[in-house]
Amino acid sequence: MARMKFICDAERCIECNSCTTACKNEHEVPWGVNRRRLVTVNDGVPGERSISVACMHCTDAPCMAVCPVDCFYRTEDQVVLHDKDLCIGCGYCFYACPFGAPQFPQAGAFGLRGKMDKCTYCAGGPEENFSVEEFRKYGRNRLAEGKLPACAEMCSTKALIAGDHAVITRIYKTRVVTRGKGDEIWGWAMAYGGSAKLADQGVTS
Amino acid sequence: MKKIALLAAALAAAACHEIPQDAAKPYAGKEDTKAYAGDLFKGDKAAYETALAKRADYENEYVRMGDENAHK
Repeated sequence: MARMKFICDAERCIECNSCTTACKNEHEVPWGVNRRRLVTVNDGVPGERSISVACMHCTDAPCMAVCPVDCFYRTEDQVVLHDKDLCIGCGYCFYACPFGAPQFPQAGAFGLRGKMDKCTYCAGGPEENFSVEEFRKYGRNRLAEGKLPACAEMCSTKALIAGDHAVITRIYKTRVVTRGKGDEIWGWAMAYGGSAKLADQGVTS
Repeated sequence: MKKIALLAAALAAAACHEIPQDAAKPYAGKEDTKAYAGDLFKGDKAAYETALAKRADYENEYVRMGDENAHK
């Protein structure tokens, strides 16, 4: 069973913003909503690091746990999605998410919040695949087209990689072994577990 | 008096139960169509997963550039 994940390699990210631009363009995301964004640590200082952040489609998603209307679900590919027809825009998911992924369009005056919007892993939403409604509410469904998320495919340095966890872990591991460093800074092992966990998944150097 | 004490103890104990926090929450929304249900994959999940895994391999430039053994 596929488990779709993102990995951002901070050693490679050059803060070019092609991921954020690709996402905006692919899904025609409105002003004020950023499904993906770049975070730079120690900006301007030699050795600065950038990382591309969006919904990480958590295995144990806190947004899903706190939603009062139960509008979140998980696809067979373990992508966390939500039904905008149910969402009441309460913002609980925003407070629960450690990545700041849920976004709320300013739907009117006086700070009125619209329905939550977030990265869909380019998997659309609970509407008929490729329908106008699906595109309007959730954006393009690239997975159903046999493609991976636009942000990762457009990444100029391939710092951001997306796909089944087993495949992208292998790619990342190859890089780390090749350059002889990196896993101690950021990445899969830091986020999801150490070498013992990689060995569990059959990943060997 | 003893009965009342027992009843009070039973009620107090009943309040100690814990609602499981790790249970999967129900999804109240619409059913989503499977990604591989369309004309492209015709419901073949294995073909869909293989296609995505192959696509993900293009993100590995060691393979894409044909020098997958360069790092060894």
